[in-house]
Amino acid sequence: MAEEKETKSIDQGTLELIEKAAKEGVNTTFDRAESIKACPIGSVGSCCKHCGMGPCRVPLPKGKEETPEDKKKRRGVCGATAETIAARNFIRMIAGGAAAHSDHGRGVAELFLEVAKGGAPGYEIKDEQKLLQVALDLGVEIGERSNNEIAADIGRIALGEYGKQAGELITLRKAPLKRQELWRKLGVAPRGIDREIVEIMHRTHIGVDQDYKSLLKQGVRTALADGWGGSLMATDLQDILFGTPAPILGQANLGVLEEGEVNIIIHGHEPLLSEMIVTVAQEPEMIKLAKSKGAKGINLSGMCCTANEILMRHGVPIAGNFLQQELAIVTGAVDAMVVDVQCIMQSVQTVAECYHTKIITTSPKARIPGATHVEFDEHDALKSAREIVKTAIENFPNRKGNIHIPDNKTDQIAGFSHETINYLLGGMFRASYRPLNDNIINGRIRGVAGVVGCNNARTKHNEAHITMVKELIKNDVLVLTTGCNAIACAEAGLLVPEAAKQFAGKGLAEVCETVGIPPVLHMGSCVDNSRILIAATAMVKDGGLGDDISDLPVAGAAPEWMSEKAISIGQYFVASGVYTVFGVTWPTTGSKEVTDYLFKDMEEMLGGMWAFEPDPIKAAHLMIAHIDKKRKALGIDQARERVLYDMDMRRELDAV
Amino acid sequence: MEYKIKKTKAPGRDEVELLGATFEEGKPEGEDMGKWRQKLDSREERLKYLENGERYFYSQEWFGSEKRKNPA
Repeated sequence: MAEEKETKSIDQGTLELIEKAAKEGVNTTFDRAESIKACPIGSVGSCCKHCGMGPCRVPLPKGKEETPEDKKKRRGVCGATAETIAARNFIRMIAGGAAAHSDHGRGVAELFLEVAKGGAPGYEIKDEQKLLQVALDLGVEIGERSNNEIAADIGRIALGEYGKQAGELITLRKAPLKRQELWRKLGVAPRGIDREIVEIMHRTHIGVDQDYKSLLKQGVRTALADGWGGSLMATDLQDILFGTPAPILGQANLGVLEEGEVNIIIHGHEPLLSEMIVTVAQEPEMIKLAKSKGAKGINLSGMCCTANEILMRHGVPIAGNFLQQELAIVTGAVDAMVVDVQCIMQSVQTVAECYHTKIITTSPKARIPGATHVEFDEHDALKSAREIVKTAIENFPNRKGNIHIPDNKTDQIAGFSHETINYLLGGMFRASYRPLNDNIINGRIRGVAGVVGCNNARTKHNEAHITMVKELIKNDVLVLTTGCNAIACAEAGLLVPEAAKQFAGKGLAEVCETVGIPPVLHMGSCVDNSRILIAATAMVKDGGLGDDISDLPVAGAAPEWMSEKAISIGQYFVASGVYTVFGVTWPTTGSKEVTDYLFKDMEEMLGGMWAFEPDPIKAAHLMIAHIDKKRKALGIDQARERVLYDMDMRRELDAV
Repeated sequence: MEYKIKKTKAPGRDEVELLGATFEEGKPEGEDMGKWRQKLDSREERLKYLENGERYFYSQEWFGSEKRKNPA
């Protein structure tokens, strides 16, 4: 039993709840991952089900080298080769991921426009600074106009970017100049966000684009529409509405649940309704109602990226990441789990039926049979939020006796937006990335890594995340994190300044201590990977480290990825010039040509490329080797200290 | 500027008056803790900060490694 436990999570509380679920006969994702084996043909991209003549399976021959004759036969009924099939599958994953992020962005833009027009009571423009910033980005006139007038123009332009048919996305202009030129030269600068996604669906239909290189190029274009378009706009507009994150103290892990209070978990990815729930949960009438039901108060916590959003802006604690969503319910102490969109397991409802938890769906795009549906109405969001909080409070007396909340929670500092990093490194009058670049040049910081992405039930929960991040910071690599990796790092105690002394190499620890930051900086949710793109661009523009992102000593990784969004994120990082390593599994290994194109040829084309390495230590070493390669190319591979010359030393120089 | 006077005991002497700190406390408390952007009061200040602090993107003159480059 002890051996079995070790294979599922590195987190003690998670193991306790897996055991509790087993004792109580509750089926969880950990059980299903054991009983359902991944399809070996689909997992390598060798199954095509795009038409009624299939599904066609075109696997590599088992246990022998493929001969040219064998290869000729590896085709679907329509004649599509294994390369075409693998590339089609891969870019449909990009389309799915880009659609998810970008539709999130569209929802924010729609609300944003309503707020500007005064049609969304309860919401307001909280960050004028960011409003002005985005106005400058989009070319909106500022002058003496009111915030709402400026915001209305921003909202209209932002929404227009989705349906744009020609030209290129306005926000691409934020990228380094050299990168923009490269995208234009390669013909991968995205036109409109929706257009690129639709074009993938068209090209991958039977009998359309059957050149794997051409297919993958459209994948690049669509991923860029996500990272530098939909995701970036989601982040920017959310910052204007809810505030640009600044350092804030919070807590993480299942131990944030309180036995004596009404526990409401907000799960998903969009902060639009959850911002209102945060407000409503603090209303005296709600607290009074909770007390009237025998609770001491209302305890709000988050799960997955909605958690990251409300943590970054309000310090609301995080109950867990993707693989902990069912286990939170297994505690028996969750009175309501409010879900919006993305990464919500359908089984939260079946697990909830074993306890008293109410699952409340809120998006018309994400319904679950059996769940209570309270639709988010931006025109009266406070009403929706009050209904949800009341439902949770009224469910408190229905708790059964089988409650167990693990005694594990850790402190974390989150809220490292690009704007805040810039401010922290220089202050109000000299905000700058210069100290970061200087410390990279002098070798105290070896490089920067973006470690992001999901959990995957086919690997030990959080193990690859934490092993990789610890290895990177031990080797003086500053880590920027988002999504489920950020939550894993919080649970492992890596998001506090003290972690630098304990886990980081000497050089990185010195810098962290001087600035007062953790060695791993929490930058937000998965749409907030756009913040990492902007931070990388600021490093380029500050100077001294080349003139494109592909020149920087940086790397990216998603060691426990599982979603299509992760593939889209990885592809836009690669297309932005970043070496990007994924763990767990790789979805194109059914075609050597497609895999080689992604792992080798893309570097020549884009300066960044994909890599696959399931061992997190080896993956971290690949990233470090890439960082060292870039340091050597920049001529900063030898550590050099600035020396202040005194008069004697100057005289010695003169004598030479 | 108002000077703060702090009274303290000195070795070998009675209570003495010391000039207190004139800088802003490093540990703001309450709701505004850590929210540095609220230090900017007016639209003019905010735009000025963007031009200087966020010069990578909003400076009138191009900055840093791309300064020497031709426009894209």
